[in-house]
This record gives sequence, structure tokens and C-alpha cells, in this order.
Amino acid sequence: MIGAIRSELTRLGQPRLLITWFGLTALFAAMINTIMVTFLSGGGSMPPGAPGVAFPTLAQMESPSGLMSGLAAASSMFGIVTLSFWALATASDYSSGLIRLLVAAEPRRWRLLAAKAVALALVTAAATTVAAIFNVLVVLPAAGAAGLSTSAWGTDLVNVVGSAWLHLYIAMCVWGVIGLVIATLARSAAVAISIGVGYLLVVEGMVKMLKDVPSDWLLGTTLGAVASGGTAAISFGSALTLALGYVALGLVAAGVVYARRDVTD
Amino acid sequence: MQEDRVSIITTAGLTRRFGPITALDNLTLELPSAGVIGLVGPNGSGKSTLIRTLLGLIRPTDGTATVLGSPITSPAAYAARVGVLIESPAFSSGLSARANLVSIARLRRLPLARVDAVLTQVGLAGRDREPVKQFSLGMKQRLGIAAALLSDPELLILDEPTNGLDPAGIVEIRELLRDLGRNGRTVIVSSHQLSEIEAVCDHLVVIRFGKLIFSGPMAEMMKRTREHIDIAAEHDADMDRLQTALVADGWNVTAVDDILRVAASVTRAAELNRAAMASGVTLRRLELAQDNLEEIFLEMTGRVDGELASSRAAANGTVAA
Repeated sequence: MIGAIRSELTRLGQPRLLITWFGLTALFAAMINTIMVTFLSGGGSMPPGAPGVAFPTLAQMESPSGLMSGLAAASSMFGIVTLSFWALATASDYSSGLIRLLVAAEPRRWRLLAAKAVALALVTAAATTVAAIFNVLVVLPAAGAAGLSTSAWGTDLVNVVGSAWLHLYIAMCVWGVIGLVIATLARSAAVAISIGVGYLLVVEGMVKMLKDVPSDWLLGTTLGAVASGGTAAISFGSALTLALGYVALGLVAAGVVYARRDVTD
Repeated sequence: MQEDRVSIITTAGLTRRFGPITALDNLTLELPSAGVIGLVGPNGSGKSTLIRTLLGLIRPTDGTATVLGSPITSPAAYAARVGVLIESPAFSSGLSARANLVSIARLRRLPLARVDAVLTQVGLAGRDREPVKQFSLGMKQRLGIAAALLSDPELLILDEPTNGLDPAGIVEIRELLRDLGRNGRTVIVSSHQLSEIEAVCDHLVVIRFGKLIFSGPMAEMMKRTREHIDIAAEHDADMDRLQTALVADGWNVTAVDDILRVAASVTRAAELNRAAMASGVTLRRLELAQDNLEEIFLEMTGRVDGELASSRAAANGTVAA
């Protein structure tokens, strides 16, 4: 298993892939913080939120956790980036034909799939760290320039940064697993990314518009709650349990298909 | 090569259907260990399906098979002892040749020293830091063979190993395969290059429509060759007249491109020349020849493109691959 993980990490070490992945993550971290601070400057208020984005209030922004609030605010955006790269890494094995070589070398296919998930989770940890670093690098000067009160931001710093990182990391991994599952089933990164983005921007948005239908169970909402450490609507524990349920369901489906399907690509 | 050695691969009634298509049709064969084995058949004959089935990539609909003594239902039992190049070489194009091999070595838990060894073996030692996307087809092919050799396998299965190589590269790889076969490895080469197969293989397997047509030593196959005499009239305009006259005289004559091929042994060459002269035609060419593997192959499998034949057969509701 260790060999399979190291093998997968070697293949994931493609400079262009990592630069694009981390670059997009850094870009979203910078963008969300710039937007948040711009709206809140001068005592203004946030817009109601766009699909995949949940803005904090001014009070939340100026609280100790405000330093890292950008991570939770754009967790769905980070999630879509993660989903995309997990899907790309999974589907490229099929599109390149590498799957033939991999399965011939390691016929215990569940090991290949598990190793891929573990390796991608490790790279996702690095991506989460990039997001956290760029979040801090942007929000500090932006908040200072906009006149926001940042006096509380040093309070309980390690806990604030650590929990924000961990919550975002869990959410990103779940998004990633969704990408891996769809890419395994569809054998196509394009299909997986289209479904992921389409779901977040269209399906989830439409369900939320239906007043009589509860939306706490929706993937984006659930993972947004995980990334935020819980919300008023759904606690962190409930959100995490639901997210892990999604992961287990997806991995079982992908695992069964991956293990049993003929490799004809 | 002796045929009483232990079988490295056995199949018994191996069948694989894809919907209405029968890719492998009750295939039963035994392949000897050590040496180079040619696997040939027209397009769509079931070669790739057979290889994939033996490697555990696809499951048979019916029948059984063993590889290195283990059933194909447990490919993990023999995967470490088998090296493969299936269809085109597949790699992460953004990675260097070395990184790709390191990735496979790690998956197979092999020492990284093997990477250098196989890079040297296939002649890529100086190019190993370059990204694979910059490689020519021939270099990718060499890298594919290197990947197959990484585990120093007992059994090597190579699909079109010389595809994309230049003539010098083909000779080089041919020598490599011969050496591997001589040194106790078993190398199965699937190829459309019948001259390659003829040059390098000790044993031959021919399949068509998923059925076994021939399996045996190459020497036995070559016994099927027939002698013939190729002739051409001095003037092209006389070719039809010459053919008509010879056929009337009882010769078995076939027009092939710009010559007439007469099914006759070398001992009848003078008689044939006299017959031509008697019909008033002077020969500018009289050449004694023997069928090569390609001729025998075409005779056995038909002269129609395999995939076209398959699709026609499928359309007619008959078995095809």
C-alpha cells in the first residue's frame, strides 16, 4: 500500500498540475478576501452571497476568527478546484491508458484506488496550506487599508488558524472524493467537473430557492458548514457526519465499479 | 525450441463475449516456457482480449486459464513476475521518463536501481530527464519496453513492441527480445509485423475470430510453405497471353501485381521456361521463391481486413471478434 501511495505521489508531482492547482487555490483565497474587505470597508454590509460563497458579517470579520474567515467563505470554490483536480488525476489514468499498466502491475485494484485517494489527500493538505497562507497574506494588508478593526485577530491564533485549516481541509477532501467518485464512474474528468460545477451553481441553488424544501443536507451547504466549523443551521458534528456519509457512499460505489469493471481503455 | 517444456500459459475453453461479439471463442492452448512466442491474427481477432484476460484486466465469460501456474482469477499471484506493454505505451506525459519508471518501480516495490538498468537496456539512458511529451513514438515505445522490463519478469507480454521504431531500432529490439528468450525468459510478442515475428519467434500462435488457428513451433508453421516460381514476360502486353497459355497447358498460375506466380517446385523451372517460349513469349524474369510467413498467414486467415470481416460477420449474426 505504501508503495502504491508513493507511486501515486510521484505521478502527482507534475509541476504544471501542482502550479495550476495551488495557483487557483491562492487566487481564490486572494479574491475572496479582497471582495470581503471591500464590501465591509466603511461599515458596509455583505451581499447575500453568490452560489458557493457565504460571506461573514462585519462582527464575525472583526472577531478573532475573522482572520481566517475567507477560507470558510469560499470553501465551495476551493472545493470545486479540489474536485476538479481529483477528477483530473483519476480520469487521466483512463484517458492516457495508464490504467492498463497500473492494474497489470497491481491487480488488487482497491489498493490502487485507496492509494490514489490517500495521495490526493496529501496534496490537498498542501493546497489547503497554500489557501491559508494566501488568505493571511491578503487579508492583513487589505483589512488594514480598509480600516477594519483587526485588534482581535491575534487572540488564540494557533487555535483559530489550526481549526480553520482543519475544517477547510476536511471539506476539500470530501469535495475531492466526490470528484474521484464521479471520475471513476464516468472515466472522464470533463464529465466529473461539469457535474460538480453544475450541481453547485445550478442544482443546489435551485433547491435552496424552494422554500418548503430543507436544504441543510445539500452537499455544498453541508461542506460549507464543515468548513465554517458549524453554522446556525447545522452543527459541525452533524455536518461532518453527513459529509462522511457522502464519502462512504461514494467510495463504496466507486470501489465496486473500479474493482469489477473491465479495463478496456 | 523444445515443445515438452512446462506450459507458462494455459487456457481451456476461454471465452469472452462483448454483447453480440465473441472476442474469444472457446480458446484452448498451451504455451511453452522460455523463448519468444509470436501471437498473430488479423485486426479484431481477439489478441488484445486474450492478453487483457490473461492479465486480469478483463474477466472471461467462460473457461479457465493459468499464467505461470496460477489461475487468472488470482492475477496478484503472478503480476510481479509478468512485464507488459499493452497496445500503445501509456505514461504521464508531464513527467520525465525516469519519473514515470520510478512511479512504476514504487508501485511494484522494486529497487530504484532497476530504473537505471532498464533505461540503459533500451537505450534511453541519456534522455531519461526529458518529459515524455517530448518523446517520439519510437522513444515512447522504448520507454514502454523499459517499463515492462522493470521487474526483470519471467514472462514478458509485448503488444507491437517495434511500433514506431526506425529500422535500426527494430533490429536492436529484435536482438533484445531474442536475448531475453535465450536467457530463460518467455516473451510473447503480439504484432502485425509478420516479418518481425518470423525473424524473432520460436513458437507461433495464430488466432482469428477468437478461435485458435495454429499453435506450434515456428519451424512447423514454416513447413507449410510452398515453393513457387515468379515469372514476367519481356513485354507487359504479353502477360495475359502468357497466363492463358500456361493455364491451358495445365499450370497453376496466379497474377500477383506485375508478375505471374506459378505454383511449381524449383525442379520445373526449365520446363516452365520452355512452355513460355512455346507460347511465343520470352521471359525477362524467372525467379524461384518460397512463401514467407505473411503468405502462409494470409492463406490461413483470409485476405480480408480482420475488422471488416468481423463487422460483416457480426452483421450476419455469425461469430466474430
